[in-house]
Amino acid sequence: MKSFFLKDMQYRRARVVLTSLGITVLISLILLLGGIMNGMRIQAQQYVKSTGADIWISAEGSGGAFIGFSLLIEENMAPLNAQRELKEGSLSPLIFAQARPIIRGKSTKAIVVGYMTDKYGGPKQVLDGEGRMFKASEFQDYRPEDPIPLEIIVDEKMGLEIGEQITIGTDAVKVVGKTSSLMFVLDTPLIFMDVRVAQKVLLGNYPRVNMMIAKANKNMEPEKVAALFDAIEEIEARTMNQTLDDIIAYYVDEPMKAVQFLRVMLWIVAGLLVGMITYVTMLEKTQEIGVLKAIGASNSYVMTHLLKQVALISVVGVTIGFCLAYVFAAAAPIFVAINLVESIIVAGISFIVCCGSGYLAARKVIMVDPLIAFRGELDGGMFRHSPTVAYPDA
Amino acid sequence: MTAIIEGIGLTKRFGVGDAAVVAIDSVDIRIDERELVMIMGDSGCGKTTLISLLGCILTPDAGELRIDGEDIDLTGQDLSLIRRQKIGFVFQLFHLLPYLTALENVMVAMDIAKTDKSEAEDRSIELLTRVGLSDRLHHRPAQMSGGEKQRVSFARALANRPKVIFADEPTANLDSRQSDNLMDLIQELRQEHQTTVVIVTHHEGLKENADRIVYMKDGKVITS
Repeated sequence: MKSFFLKDMQYRRARVVLTSLGITVLISLILLLGGIMNGMRIQAQQYVKSTGADIWISAEGSGGAFIGFSLLIEENMAPLNAQRELKEGSLSPLIFAQARPIIRGKSTKAIVVGYMTDKYGGPKQVLDGEGRMFKASEFQDYRPEDPIPLEIIVDEKMGLEIGEQITIGTDAVKVVGKTSSLMFVLDTPLIFMDVRVAQKVLLGNYPRVNMMIAKANKNMEPEKVAALFDAIEEIEARTMNQTLDDIIAYYVDEPMKAVQFLRVMLWIVAGLLVGMITYVTMLEKTQEIGVLKAIGASNSYVMTHLLKQVALISVVGVTIGFCLAYVFAAAAPIFVAINLVESIIVAGISFIVCCGSGYLAARKVIMVDPLIAFRGELDGGMFRHSPTVAYPDA
Repeated sequence: MTAIIEGIGLTKRFGVGDAAVVAIDSVDIRIDERELVMIMGDSGCGKTTLISLLGCILTPDAGELRIDGEDIDLTGQDLSLIRRQKIGFVFQLFHLLPYLTALENVMVAMDIAKTDKSEAEDRSIELLTRVGLSDRLHHRPAQMSGGEKQRVSFARALANRPKVIFADEPTANLDSRQSDNLMDLIQELRQEHQTTVVIVTHHEGLKENADRIVYMKDGKVITS
């Protein structure tokens, strides 16, 4: 009877379903938490990577371009343009700041990016058929009295229409185009505008920028250029990789410490629960194992019978948990990126824990005399064998 | 007569230290081939423990055991092999697997012995028909009466053509009519299969069926 173990599982289907469900929930929770953190990491990096710049300069003491308070006078940075270590004309002013724009009467979270369209820092074109780029200011030097076109392009996922007006600070700005999504951490949308417009709406026309970004010359290593510039007083310079590390540490790892802790706890709890569920499920079959042994079943026969059940329950639980995590990720209100390699590791570990605890429980039962087993008189020690053990069944 | 089972100085204790109870105390016993032996005595005198020791489903603390002329090596032998080749058990509470039908419950004993599936099925049907359950082949234990379950249990015990069948209080959960029917069946099967039968019972009315009666008291055999 090849399907002997399947008939057993069918008979105890409520227990089988509950056990699989327990494994499913734990697996999907672990994968989802990992996916949330992974999603935050991806979003934290994608804007920085999209700029194409590999040198990031901020004010001395700011701790990095995106970390602390940084204000630079753009004109004072002009001499850096002459440095042969940088690609000619690549030095670009950038404003990157959190804002609370009023959209359709509601205050919303967003990040304002002010840049120059002919430099680094933002998109060079809008999506096909989705409006146009904002008009760039026609002057290099800041002149507060000069008229500035208050135009913006927005992340396509913000749901704004071309021509719609939103308010940033005290200024109404007009959406003229949409760009492909570059959401920042926790789906915070980006609003792109000319650097002069950003100075007006965010800094009250104060002629400063948060940072300067640039591209290292082809024959120069960004690490060396950043180190060279970092030695200059009044500024700090980082490579793109250093900047990415800063962002992940500041925007993901620090605020997510509690989640990370929960994730570790969940791993431990999941391991214990899955192990306990399997262990107890196996122990409940003690009588049946005793009967099987009494009618002549060898230890290997019983063990194979039990492990087939545990393996099937684990595979079902882990597979459904795996699929459920991806379904939840797709339906989540924030960006969740489940890592496939991590998923496989989680699935593998869960499978091993299930089978391991099933094996321990089965071993405990099959090592005792059949009479003791079917009378349910096992001793209480989890990893201890009964003193009645003696018969060396195969 | 040739001895099919011999136990010498069999001793079994349960518990340790001051709480230890001697369930079987240096028992010598011999069961001959094709005998129907009944083991009787008060509750707790060690009847079930004794047949469990003789049937290799419980380990003695001391003593020697010989089954079908073979000395049993309690430390190195695969005893599951002896259980499936030479011994059949019938339990007071039947102990059928609840998720299998009557037919499958008999077949499982032969699955354990790696008997070919179709051969196992044919023999199981034959045995169940012999015990009067041809119309109950596909019923589960929950759908059968106590007497029917006990007959399935006997069919399972006979599945691998054992030398000895041990039956622990087989009539304890049956009414008197079912008990008589079961005893008649045991007698018939014993003759047909040339099997030795050892029955533990309280039931004085069954004594007349026995070739020999072993009385026990306080873990010792007092008359045999």
